[in-house]
Amino acid sequence: MNKNYNFAFLDEGSKREIRRATLKAVAIPGYQVPFGSRELPIGRGWGTGGIQLTLSLIGPEDVLKVIDQGSDESVNAVNIKKFVGLCTDVKTTTDTREATLIQTRHRIPEIPLNNDQILILQVPIPEPLRIVEAREEVTKKMHAEKDYAPIWLELYESLIKYKKVTLSSEYPCMVEGRYVMNPSPIPKFDNPKLHKAQGLYLFGAGREKKIYAIPPHTEVVSLAFDDVPFEKENFAGKKCRLCGSEHTYLDEMFDSQTGEKVYQCSDTSYCQEVRSHASK
Amino acid sequence: MSTLSKKYSFHEVFDSQKLFRLILEAMSNPTRTVDIREYADKMFGDEPALLAVAMTLLDNEIHFNTCENAALADEITSLTLAKGSEPEDADFIFVCKPDQLQNVMECAKCGTLSDPHKSATVVIRDDSSASGNLTLYGPGIDGECQFPASDLVQRALQLRDAQYYEYPQGIDFIFIAGSGELFAIPRLVRWEVR
Repeated sequence: MNKNYNFAFLDEGSKREIRRATLKAVAIPGYQVPFGSRELPIGRGWGTGGIQLTLSLIGPEDVLKVIDQGSDESVNAVNIKKFVGLCTDVKTTTDTREATLIQTRHRIPEIPLNNDQILILQVPIPEPLRIVEAREEVTKKMHAEKDYAPIWLELYESLIKYKKVTLSSEYPCMVEGRYVMNPSPIPKFDNPKLHKAQGLYLFGAGREKKIYAIPPHTEVVSLAFDDVPFEKENFAGKKCRLCGSEHTYLDEMFDSQTGEKVYQCSDTSYCQEVRSHASK
Repeated sequence: MSTLSKKYSFHEVFDSQKLFRLILEAMSNPTRTVDIREYADKMFGDEPALLAVAMTLLDNEIHFNTCENAALADEITSLTLAKGSEPEDADFIFVCKPDQLQNVMECAKCGTLSDPHKSATVVIRDDSSASGNLTLYGPGIDGECQFPASDLVQRALQLRDAQYYEYPQGIDFIFIAGSGELFAIPRLVRWEVR
């Protein structure tokens, strides 16, 4: 551990502020609590909101897993793990079940969270109303007044133009019937995992300086119309080329030589686990 | 030659982190009781558990009120540099005596519809034993839960409801027993007696 820095890099005053914001976020599910996002030795937009949450939560007894687009081995995930490891010496893992803290970008693991696990999502744009309103002071007022007509209109226009809602990620959802929330750029496939989950979800947006949360057993409903229900990605007839899973979120890969399309689990540790069980 | 020693052994980095995780667990799972005695034992004075919570969450950006408990106010200020204030301006209100609760609940800030986070967290010392079961439900609770609660807890919830806060406005409760048991009831948790 690098002794030139405080444990978990941030000074204790910064951690306390983030911790207070986290408690308020848990008390008001889906509401974006502003916080004083700190400078980190990583550029904004590379997961600094998630990292600040992780650093304010982590202790010597934690086991940390970091994934990026489902992969434990991508550049963002590996470097965040190295950084947190340098300033905490905590154990890291790729096993979803073993981790107490999971920091993630763009995916929720295939294995459901336990109640003693916390999933920390890195969020680039926390404001679900940004696609319909550019001004922060206006979106804040819209949330206060529960004025979500423009986002419904956006979904309706998409239906009229394309016969389906074309949002593939950052699909807005309603939390406890009060706040429309951006679940971060997870695919629609992962939205249902937020509903009445066992674990705690924390969302950190470093550049936008916002923290929000979904506590366990909270109602999270993806926005949809009565006659046009919410639909997640459909992988019917496709399976992972490595482990054969048919119920996971699959990445599509294209071989330009042969023109062949193949599919593979996005959650690499889950895929590996299935394969290792199969080989026993 | 005399030597100087600290009045407490609570570690500001590691004990704060562990205690925060317990408070977060309690806030995320209302009705779950966590044990903070280990950390309270590292503090001093008449309210070591409240002091441990203050050490974990308060600093010079925070206003607090102790309902005229001057000793506790002095200890919190000297430990955290947080500023004492009237209850209506306080971010954290520490209630040590049940008869102070009504006044606190009538003036605690509940945030605004735009900024519901600018609301008070009321930390209540509750040494009384459970007198009946409350049915609690809301975020953090799987369905509904029968929760053995003291008269003080029920009184606090009645006083909260009497304010008719329009959600997301509201206040959040943290209850702490002298024995170190802590549980939280955030604003969105509803209750009834059956």
